[in-house]
Amino acid sequence: MNAAKSFSSRLAGWLPRIVVAPSLLVVIVTVYLFILWTGVISFTSSKFVPVYDFVGLEQFVRLWATPRWHTAVANLLIFSALFLSLSTGIGLLMAILLDQNIRAEGFLRAVYLYPMALSFIVTGTAWKWIMNPGLGIQKVVNELGWTSFTFDWITDPNMAIYTVVIAGVWQSSGFAMAIFLAGLRGIDNSVIKAAQIEGAGLPLIYRQIIIPMLRPAMLSVIVLLSYIAIKSFDLVLALTNGGPGSATELPSTFMFSATFRRNQMGVGAASAIMMLMTVAAIIVPYLYSELRERNNG
Amino acid sequence: MSKFLASLVAATMLVPAAARAEGTIEVLHHWVSQSEVNALNVIRKDLETKGFQWKDSAVGGMSGANAQQALRSRLTSGDPPGAMQFLGWEGPQWAEQGVVRDLNDLASAGGWREALPPQLLTFVTAGDAFIAAPINMHRQNWVWANKKIFDAAGIAVPKTWAELIAAGKKLEEKGVTPVAMGDEPWQIGIIFDALLSDLHGPEFYKKAAIDLDPATLNSPEMVKVFDALREVRGLVDDNFVGRDWAVATGMVINGEAAMQFMGDWAKGEFLAKGLKPNTDFYCFATPAKVPTFQYVIDSFGMFTVKDETVQKAQVALAETIMDPKVQKEFNLIKGSIPARTDVSVDEFDDCAKLGFNERAEAIKAGSMLGAMTHGFAAKPEFAAVFGDVAAQFFVGSMSSEDAVKMLVEGIDNAR
Repeated sequence: MNAAKSFSSRLAGWLPRIVVAPSLLVVIVTVYLFILWTGVISFTSSKFVPVYDFVGLEQFVRLWATPRWHTAVANLLIFSALFLSLSTGIGLLMAILLDQNIRAEGFLRAVYLYPMALSFIVTGTAWKWIMNPGLGIQKVVNELGWTSFTFDWITDPNMAIYTVVIAGVWQSSGFAMAIFLAGLRGIDNSVIKAAQIEGAGLPLIYRQIIIPMLRPAMLSVIVLLSYIAIKSFDLVLALTNGGPGSATELPSTFMFSATFRRNQMGVGAASAIMMLMTVAAIIVPYLYSELRERNNG
Repeated sequence: MSKFLASLVAATMLVPAAARAEGTIEVLHHWVSQSEVNALNVIRKDLETKGFQWKDSAVGGMSGANAQQALRSRLTSGDPPGAMQFLGWEGPQWAEQGVVRDLNDLASAGGWREALPPQLLTFVTAGDAFIAAPINMHRQNWVWANKKIFDAAGIAVPKTWAELIAAGKKLEEKGVTPVAMGDEPWQIGIIFDALLSDLHGPEFYKKAAIDLDPATLNSPEMVKVFDALREVRGLVDDNFVGRDWAVATGMVINGEAAMQFMGDWAKGEFLAKGLKPNTDFYCFATPAKVPTFQYVIDSFGMFTVKDETVQKAQVALAETIMDPKVQKEFNLIKGSIPARTDVSVDEFDDCAKLGFNERAEAIKAGSMLGAMTHGFAAKPEFAAVFGDVAAQFFVGSMSSEDAVKMLVEGIDNAR
């Protein structure tokens, strides 16, 4: 009786660990083991198939001597900065406007949120046609009579990355709006009423009270959108396929083509490690501060 | 009754038993479009008459890159398919890894080496081993032209690139888009490859695109290649970004554009509309002193497997693929020409016949060359640099000198 009881209590103690173990194992193998393997490959001369001869930092030197990689890194910076700020800004504005007790709010909310339900492949293909000067916006405006109007960014290697931003923002700002709207609904009305009694105007109330109170929502939006920005591989693939030339290459498309199409597995692995280190440079300080706060609290 | 039952039992047992005794072969390939599948069925049926079953493993997409990924994981897990479609250097590279079956006995017995153009052997042999059976051959450097437009403008088939560019300018003045194409690097690469050999001869092409000779890459001749590419850019409309090759072919068919540079897979688009070569459209090689034949082949390689029935099926499949009759039937559907040079092409269309004759001349003249853009010259890591530079040059405003500099540095970096 006693033994059985201690067994069951021991089991109860072990149960969470047993339940978590398989998923932990899967994560360790499929994520961390492969990160480690990629790291190993990046120090080898692997081309068509992996080989294990260590050549030091040769692949990293080669990577940074490749102009396409420089384009890819610059594009990622331009794309994520603009994509994050525009999606957040437009999402917040739409949420505030929708929050004014307007009619048919539910309908409008759905309209703005629907792009999020599309795959990036669909968004990319549709915007490829919309922004093609001979098929889309430019043609329509020209035919309406404004013949000098041009909108040919998608054909211009210097401007093409901004077309990716446009398509990305179109897809994701509705999503940011939905999260902000939920945040706005959570704000206590009495705070706003109190401010109004004090004589504060609406812009001041939003600037000084409501937007600062949306900080948690803001954090979720930024975290989720950065993750979308990093995995925007398929959007680029469908919209411009990395072109014109290699003007809209991103680190992810670079990594894919080096590894699987160009026989440069070592360079591909090196680029993957560079991406990992960039993400780690942002995440590690964040995790560190989070954990320290928890320990102090 | 019992007699009937016995014969019934015998009948049901006989048919599958025959198939089972001979074995099944799994074939990994990336052909998924209708004409490709129909062409494959020729091979499949011939294999079935020999009593073997074809197990289809089609992995489409990314011009074969997805199928390559599938193959890698199959090989790593020790379960390779019986046969695999090879493009470019894939065959020799897998042979280097020691996983490909040597078909030399069959090749010697069947006289394969004599039946194939000698230039092809780079991609189907590795040392003394014969590693893949080539089924077809496409030519990459074709020009497809709308005959009505050419005739109306009084333009004859151009004999040099200078004539071609002059003809293009004339057409542009008449309000026709001279050249239809998209901005994908491989579409631009087709023109670049053609210019390399057409302007400076096959030897220059071999030195630049196969030997990667630094002096050739950095030569004034290379600057001229880019100059000519810039002139071709002037003949393309501004809406070429993101245009699929088949859409560009459609523009030539509809008379929106005069010509397209494309491999002979474009011919299927014309034939599907019921158009006839030399009455509705022209097909001619990119203009040069000695017309070059830039080939693209599909071949099937066999992997070393333990299962003896699969080994037998591999022999049967290789023999089927190299069977002149099968090569004829297959290529009539696929739009290419047989890899074997000893197959009669009387039943083929005029473009295929022209290609067949020009191939014979090119083999003699030494102007039969592997098409770099499709992986049949430099290894992929170098061919990709050519593709990058040509594409960036084409869509942007880079000078020819800068392009050459970028090419030389890029090739050095990839070495």
